[in-house]
Amino acid sequence: MSEATLQRPRPVALARLRHATWQGERIDWSAYLFILPFFLPFLLFTLIAVGFGAYVSFTEWGVIGDPTWTGLDNFRRALADPFVPKVWANTLKYGLIVVPATTIVALAFALFVNQRWWGATLARTVFYAPNVVAVTVIGLVWVWLLDTRFGLVNQYLGYLGIPNVPWLTNPAWVLFGIALASIWWDAGFSMVIFLAGLQDIPKELREAAQVDGASRFQVLRHIVLPLLRPAMSLVITLLIIGTLRVFSQIYIMTNGGPANASASVIIYIYRIGFRDFDLGYAAALSLMLFATILIVTVVEMRLLRVQRW
Amino acid sequence: MASKVTRRNALKLAGAGAASGILANSGINGVTAKPLPARQDVHEIVHWSWLTASDGEVWQQMIDAFNEAHADQGVQIRMEVVPDDQYGTKVLSSAAAGQAPDFGWGTAGLRADWIDKDVVLPLDELMSAAELDLADFMEHALQSSRYPTYGDMLYMIPMDAMSLQVLLNLDHAAEAGLDPSSPPQTGAELLDWAEQMTVRDGDTVTRSGFLMTGAGVQPSVTWGIVAHQMGFRRAGDDLTEAALNPEAGQAAAQWVLDLFDEHRVATRDVTDRYQAFGTGQGAMFLTGPWTLAGYVADGLNFTSFKMPQVGEDASTYFELGGLEMYAQEDESRYEMTAQAIKWLSDNSFLWTTEGRGAAVRQSILDRDDYQTSGVPWDLRAAFVEGMSEAVIGEVPVKAAPDFTIYTGSGFVAQTMDPVWANERPIDEAVQMLAEQWEADLAEG
Amino acid sequence: MVSVATPADSQPQPRRRVSGTVVVLWVLGMLVVVAWAAPFVWMVSTSVKWPGDIMTRDIEWLPRRVTSENYAKVFAQPVLRWLVNSLIVATVATAFSLLSGAMTGYAFARLHFPGRGVLFFLVLATLMIPSEMTIVPLFIGFLRADLVNNYAAFILPSVASVFGVYLFRQFFLSLPRELEDAARVDGAGRFRIFFSIALPLARPAVIAAAILLFTTNWNAFLWPLLVAFTEEMKTLPVGMATFAPGVGGQTQLQSFGPAMAAMTILTLPSLLVFLVLQRYFIEGVISAGIKG
Repeated sequence: MSEATLQRPRPVALARLRHATWQGERIDWSAYLFILPFFLPFLLFTLIAVGFGAYVSFTEWGVIGDPTWTGLDNFRRALADPFVPKVWANTLKYGLIVVPATTIVALAFALFVNQRWWGATLARTVFYAPNVVAVTVIGLVWVWLLDTRFGLVNQYLGYLGIPNVPWLTNPAWVLFGIALASIWWDAGFSMVIFLAGLQDIPKELREAAQVDGASRFQVLRHIVLPLLRPAMSLVITLLIIGTLRVFSQIYIMTNGGPANASASVIIYIYRIGFRDFDLGYAAALSLMLFATILIVTVVEMRLLRVQRW
Repeated sequence: MASKVTRRNALKLAGAGAASGILANSGINGVTAKPLPARQDVHEIVHWSWLTASDGEVWQQMIDAFNEAHADQGVQIRMEVVPDDQYGTKVLSSAAAGQAPDFGWGTAGLRADWIDKDVVLPLDELMSAAELDLADFMEHALQSSRYPTYGDMLYMIPMDAMSLQVLLNLDHAAEAGLDPSSPPQTGAELLDWAEQMTVRDGDTVTRSGFLMTGAGVQPSVTWGIVAHQMGFRRAGDDLTEAALNPEAGQAAAQWVLDLFDEHRVATRDVTDRYQAFGTGQGAMFLTGPWTLAGYVADGLNFTSFKMPQVGEDASTYFELGGLEMYAQEDESRYEMTAQAIKWLSDNSFLWTTEGRGAAVRQSILDRDDYQTSGVPWDLRAAFVEGMSEAVIGEVPVKAAPDFTIYTGSGFVAQTMDPVWANERPIDEAVQMLAEQWEADLAEG
Repeated sequence: MVSVATPADSQPQPRRRVSGTVVVLWVLGMLVVVAWAAPFVWMVSTSVKWPGDIMTRDIEWLPRRVTSENYAKVFAQPVLRWLVNSLIVATVATAFSLLSGAMTGYAFARLHFPGRGVLFFLVLATLMIPSEMTIVPLFIGFLRADLVNNYAAFILPSVASVFGVYLFRQFFLSLPRELEDAARVDGAGRFRIFFSIALPLARPAVIAAAILLFTTNWNAFLWPLLVAFTEEMKTLPVGMATFAPGVGGQTQLQSFGPAMAAMTILTLPSLLVFLVLQRYFIEGVISAGIKG
C-alpha cells in the first residue's frame, strides 16, 4: 500500500459547512435528506393547500371562476353570524361531555385489560375493534341502537327502570346520544395509550405498596394515576383536538339536528362550503376553528404541565 | 452489516414495487374524466347520477337499455354514481376545471345558481335539434323546468314528477274500523282518522295516527303544504315579494304543533320516519312515491290516498326530477348528449312505472299498460292522479334552497325546527322566514 | 381457589383468596365487553336477515332464517374490484407513510439541524386544521393536472402522515441511545445507523403506526369519492356509499339488509389486519416501554 497518496485539498467552504454548528452542536446535514420524503408531499398536498385555503378566507369564491378579494368581510360576517356562537357552544358542550367520559372509560378499560385474568385479551380486542370501523357503520347501527322506542340502549335502560331517553330526537339529549356513539368508536384508541403507560409502571412499586398493606384502590390513586400523567396528557390532548373537529358521526346520525342542537362547527363549515358553495366564508370559519383548537390545546398542555416536546 | 429482511422490509419492498408498477401503468399523463375509449369510434357519454337503492337499480336498467340499443352505433353512456350530498361539490369542482360530465340528474327549480355560473346549459335549441317532442310533455312540467329570471329558458328535461301524498297502513285502518275506499278529504276528517288510529300508552304516543318527526323534513314539508293550502305564499308570482299572507303561515305552523301537543296523534320521538312507517309505528305517512317499491318489497299492507284539503284548497308539494346538460369545453359533444336524453325520455316507461314518480309525457300516461305495469296501480294512483293538485314547487331564484320546504337542514328546516321543539314562537319564525326570503328575492 | 396474578407476573406467588370485589369487577367488565361487541354482532346478523325480520321488537341476535339476498345485491356491484382498489391504495399509502414517517420522526428525535423545532411545530399544527378547508382547492388542482381517476390520485395526498411522524418521533425519543452511539463511534453514517439499528428496533412503533395508518387510509371517504371518475376505480367505502343510505339517519327498510351486508364487507379487512397484528401491536408497544 502506497503511502504517497496525495490528498486533494478540500475547499475551505465545504470544510466549514461540515463543521458548522447550531445551538452548540454540529449540524447533521443528512437530516434534510431524512425529512425530504415526508416534507415533499407534505409541502405539495398539505401546506400549499392550507396556504391557499387561508388565502381563500379573505375572498369570495363559489368554486367556479376566480376568487375575488374581500378582505376581512368573511371574518366580520362570522362575528355577526348568530349560528357561529351556537355551533361553537354545541361543540364545546360536546367536548365537555366526551373528553372526560372517554378518558375515564378508556382508563377503566386499560386497567381491566391490564390484569392478566381470563378474557383480558378478548376484552382488549373487543374494546379496540370499533376504532377500525368506518363512520357509516356508526351511523346505521347507532341510529338504531339509540332509537327512542325500540333502540337497544333504551330497552336495557328499561330493565333498570329508567324511562325512555329521547337520545336523538330531543335537543337537550342529542349531544349525549352522539357522545355514546363516539365513545364506542374512540375509547379503544385512548385505551391503548393508557395500556402502554400502565406497562411502564414498574411492578416493584405496586408490589411494595401492597406489601405495605395498601389496598388496590390506594395503589391506583397514589401510584398508578400520578405515573400515568404523561399518558393522560396525551390522551386528553388528542381527545380535545378530535372533539373540536367532530363531524362525521354527527353528519351521519342527525346532520346537526334536531333544531341544530347537534350542529358542530365543522357541520356548519361543511354546510357553508359543500352545500352553499360559499368557500370563502367556509375557509374563514375553518381558520377560526384552527386558532381555537391551537389555543385550547396550548392552554390544556400548560394546565397539565407535562413536558412533552 | 447485513440487513435482515424483516417482514416490514419485505412489505416495504413489495409495496414500492407494486406502487411503481401501478403508477407507471395508470398513466398519470392525460387520464381525464373521459378516458380514451378502447375503440376510437365509440363515443362515450359521461353521466353522473345520485340515485340509489331501488331507484338506482331501475335507472341502471334504463342506461343498460340505452347502451344495448346503441351498441352497433358506437355510442355508449358511462354512468357513475355519486352520492347525493357530494354531487354538487363534485360537479362544480369538475366544471371549474373544465371536466364536468355530459349530463346528470337535476331537480327543477334548484339550479338557478348553477345557471348563473354557466355550468348548466339551456336546452330549448338543443332539444329541438334533437327533435324531442316537447308538445308531448305536460305543460306544468315544462314550465317548472324554466327559469323566469334567466330568459324563461328550459334548463332541464323532466323525467318524472313526484308529489307528496298520504300512505295508509291498511292493518291499522282495519283495526279502527275505517274504510280505506273513502279516505279523509278534509283536515277534520284527517284528524279524525288519525285519532282513531293512534295508540297511546298513558300520555305517550306509541303508534302515531299521523306519522311525524320532531324536526327535519317531515314537519317542514307538512307545514309548507298546509300553509300553502291556507293561502301562504313563499314568493309572489313575479318573484318580488316574499311571505304573502303570513297569518296563514302561522296558522299552519300551529296546525302542525297541535298534532303533537293538542291532538296528540304524533310524537317527536320518531328517529327514522321511513323505518317507523315500515314497522307499523305510524298509521298515515305523508311522503313521496319513491318509497313505494321499498314498502312493497317489505311486504307492508298499505295503500295511498291524495293529500286532504286542510286549508282552502287541496294543493300538495311536488318535485320534478330530470336530466340536465353541463357545459363542455368541446361543444361538439352536445349533439350526442341531447340525442341520448331524447331517447331516455322517449323510453321512460320503465322509469315511471317501476322507478319513482309519475310520467310527464302524455304519450306514456295514455298507454294501456301504464297502469298495469310496475308498482301496483292502487298504490301509485294517488301520486299520478294527484299531480293535478301538486302545485307547490320550488322558487326558481339563485337562493332557491332557502325556499324549499322539502329539506332537513335547509333554511326552512333550520328556522322552523325550534318551533316544533317549542323553543321559538311561531310569529318570530315566520318573520325570520320573511326577512331572509325578501333578501333572497332581491338577489335574483 | 384462583390465584390473582399481578401484572407481568413471573415468580411464584403465594396463593391468595379471591376477594369479592375482584369477582364483581371481572363480571362487570365482561358484561361491558359483551355490550361493546353487540353492535358488531347485530351488524353481521342483520346482514343475513330477510327484510321483514330486521326491525323486530325483540332483537333476534341469531336469525331464525337467513338469506344471502343482501350479499347478492351488494355483489351485483364490482365489489371485488373496489376491494382490490382499496387494498392497493391503503397498502401503498401506508407503506410510504411508514417509511417517510419513520425517517422524519428519527430526524426530529435524533438529528440536530436548524429549523427542527419550527418544522415540527408546523407539522403538528396541521393536525388541527379541518381538512374541509383544503379539499376543494386540492381537488381542482388535481383536476387541472389531469391527475384523477388513477391510483396515484388516491394515494398521493395520504403519503405524508403527520401522525406517523409524531408517533415515530415519540418512539425514537424514548429509545436508549447506546447502540446508536456505539455505531457512531465505529464510524457508521447516519443512514446506516438508521436502517441497520434504529429501524429494526422500531418494530413496535412500525406495527402500531401500520395499524393506525392502514385503518385511516382504508376508511378514507371524501377524497376518494371526489377523484374517482369511473365505477371501477372507486375504493370500497365510496362504492359502498350507494348502499349506506341517507344522511341524518333516514333509511328505507328494504335498504337496511344490503346496507349491513355492505358494512360487514367493508369492516372485515380492517378488522382482519387488526386481529392479525394486534398481538404485536400492543405487546410490542409494551415491550418498548419496559426497555426504557
